[in-house]
Amino acid sequence: MIEILFERHRLENGLDVVLSRDPSSPVVAVNLWYGVGSRNERPGRTGFAHLFEHMMFQGSKNVPETAHFALIEQAGGSLNGSTWLDRTNYFQTLPAHYLELALWLESDRMGWLLPAMTQEKLDNQRDVVKNERRWRVDNQPYGDWDERIQAMMYPPDHPYHHSVIGSMEDLDAASLEDVEEFFRTYYTPNNAVLTLCGEFEPEHALDRVRAYFGEIPEGPPVPPIPGRTELEPTLGGEVRDTVEQDIPLPRLYLAYRIPAYGRDDFYPAAVAAHALAWGRASILYRTLVREERLAQDVVAYAFPIVVGASILVIWATARPGVEPERLEAALDERIASLEHADDAEIERAVSLLEARRLIELQRVDERADLLSMYTQLFDDPDRINTELGKILGVTTADVRGFATRYLRPENRAALWYLPRRNGGRP
Amino acid sequence: MNVIRRDVPPPPGPVRTFEFPRVERRRLGNDLAVLVARHGTLPVVTVEFVVDAGAAGDPERKAGLAHLTANALETGTRTRSADRLAWDLERLGVELEAEATWDAAAVRITVPSDRLEAAMDVFADIIRYPAFPRSEVERLRDEQLATILQREKDPRALANDKAVHFIFAPDVPYARPLIGTTASVEGLSRDDVEAFYAAHYLPNAASLLFVGDIDGRTAHDLAERYFGDWPAGQPTVAEFEVVPGIETATVFVVDRPGSVQSEIRIGDVGVARRHEDYFPVLVMNTILGGAFTSRLNLSLRERHGFTYGARSAFGFRRQPGPFVVQVAVATDVTARAVEEALKEMRALRDDGATAEEVAAARDYLRGVLPLQLQTTDQLAARLADLVIYDLPDDYFDRYRDRINEVTVDDVRRVAREHLRIDRLAIIVVGDAREIAAGLEALGIGDVQVHEAG
Repeated sequence: MIEILFERHRLENGLDVVLSRDPSSPVVAVNLWYGVGSRNERPGRTGFAHLFEHMMFQGSKNVPETAHFALIEQAGGSLNGSTWLDRTNYFQTLPAHYLELALWLESDRMGWLLPAMTQEKLDNQRDVVKNERRWRVDNQPYGDWDERIQAMMYPPDHPYHHSVIGSMEDLDAASLEDVEEFFRTYYTPNNAVLTLCGEFEPEHALDRVRAYFGEIPEGPPVPPIPGRTELEPTLGGEVRDTVEQDIPLPRLYLAYRIPAYGRDDFYPAAVAAHALAWGRASILYRTLVREERLAQDVVAYAFPIVVGASILVIWATARPGVEPERLEAALDERIASLEHADDAEIERAVSLLEARRLIELQRVDERADLLSMYTQLFDDPDRINTELGKILGVTTADVRGFATRYLRPENRAALWYLPRRNGGRP
Repeated sequence: MNVIRRDVPPPPGPVRTFEFPRVERRRLGNDLAVLVARHGTLPVVTVEFVVDAGAAGDPERKAGLAHLTANALETGTRTRSADRLAWDLERLGVELEAEATWDAAAVRITVPSDRLEAAMDVFADIIRYPAFPRSEVERLRDEQLATILQREKDPRALANDKAVHFIFAPDVPYARPLIGTTASVEGLSRDDVEAFYAAHYLPNAASLLFVGDIDGRTAHDLAERYFGDWPAGQPTVAEFEVVPGIETATVFVVDRPGSVQSEIRIGDVGVARRHEDYFPVLVMNTILGGAFTSRLNLSLRERHGFTYGARSAFGFRRQPGPFVVQVAVATDVTARAVEEALKEMRALRDDGATAEEVAAARDYLRGVLPLQLQTTDQLAARLADLVIYDLPDDYFDRYRDRINEVTVDDVRRVAREHLRIDRLAIIVVGDAREIAAGLEALGIGDVQVHEAG
């Protein structure tokens, strides 16, 4: 089995630093996870964590507006950031001799973002984000499925009840004061993990990290996640909804409540998702797509989210002419068949998961992101080496037991998208 | 600990050298080219079969056939059913990818090296002995038809399809979606697939690439064992001329009532992959819309907030592919966004770019090459370019020097030559009632309103 070597340090201000050297290619990935996501947003400010992520690219005390992207691109690097339920990450991969540039940029915005904030920048990025919402969600067939599923799966006072992109109304309400408060609360060294992966000399790199990040003062303790985070292990009844859209083919989303990511009982869910719909020998592709020809496509995966409970989502798009009821009945039957899955089904799924992990570890940016994730979520970067063992350890009996307990109609949300009957304008 | 300065960016450290992996090339007796590159540190190998069976070779009125044929390879062989094939690969952890692009078809697996031999047995079976069971081919054809239906309701896909439809003259293959149209795909049969396979999937029109944890000897032995006795045939070459669809700038509004955004495409016929201006065009496009800090994105996103992102790209193919600017904007700023995009294109065409911009674009393109070669399948994709476009084996060794040779004058020249403002097709998928008048008022050219279907 592959072992990714790393060393972990913690600066006095609480910044977690993970260094993983790989001299095989002259590139370096610099990755930061801040322990803040849409789960930390307060009522009336949905979408703010993501809007804030955009503001992080608008310059800081010593970095002029647009210079962040320009400097990395001129160095021959690529970069971005992303916001999800549990985290916000910032990442760049660049030629190894530009390591210090990335440290300079990341430390300047971690330490001195606010001196560069202006109302004009906020208004501009608010417009950009509203267009991102239109592009991803509002103008896209089936585009709001995850927003709807989250609202159906989590009670209103749970931090996963609302979507990452947030509502237009809340985006409009965001102010410069919100930016300042959010920055002081969450963008602190003690709420971040910095991972370097690639070609560098660890002792020198750590010295540079200390030089750039060491003087940023530790922030206050991170406040607890707002709302009620505890959940019953199962949903306690089916929640259903139907949406009509200008789409040609009906699609059904089924979302099941499952154990939170990272718990030992999460891994049978990951294997189950792969047994169900990953690959052409998977249960749902084999039966619904290939044999019975009821579905145009099938997808299943388990969300890696950690607060209270996670979601296993399965969706299937009906072939033209297939009645939605028929597709749903067939899906129900096949999902239930997992309760009697045989060893071959499970071995196939585990084998695919194992190979995929090996393939994704080829990338330094992927490795860096995983190391940041395991450190941020579980305080345990070594999960990059040990998590696969948890997957390989999943038995047929585990998956059967998981299916019997969790993959039941009374533990799910069912969301149908149907073609709008009158077509045309909404 | 050294003192650091925060007021200026730190200078780069000593440059670490990058060398493109060495490529070993041999030919089997049937002329199948075998390329091998050792790459990476993990026990993984990508094997890719690339063959001259792209969509440019779709016969008249059979658009979508190359796509269907590539997909149908996984539906069974003489000795394995579709289900058996899938099991035999997936229990090894292997996912098969088979796809047609315009210029080639490719079948690809990435596999842990200790399972390579077992996987090769199935891989070769799929490529050499497909059975194309009628019922399975018809299933895939029907799925392709349903995908076409879905594209018509997806504004991004619809805009892409409409863009090439208006950029190229109707009889140019590139004017059609690669997966075909409802009319062309409805007519495809199992026999069409078999005939296309027989005409195009030939060892002497193909290459086999091995990249990763493998040496030349092992790769060559595997190639010989599984493909050495495959008889050569008579390859066919797709010949056609690329002709633009319009002569003067024209606005095509594709009506999608109720759209909250307009998907804008601004395009023209671009240049071929082997065009002598390839490198200057690459640099010029990076300045226009090929990077985050390119002019289009800085204007439309960072200055105006019209969009989540704007970019431009040249589709470099054997023949001149499309050049397309793409951006999705809020409905109420549609005309202003088109105006700004055209302004940026005109400025680059008329005034060229600054020395700083050209240097930055060169540095970007040179620097990102190693970043884009981290994985075995990324390197395999580059080797596939070598064989598809008949580039020399040292092409990527010289790639960064070629980028570096591009001058400010080159960029000015190619902007003038290839940004033909007076012949642009401007395609806008959006709510015609809300946007047509504003586009008309820009005075760019004819404004035609089309139905989405």
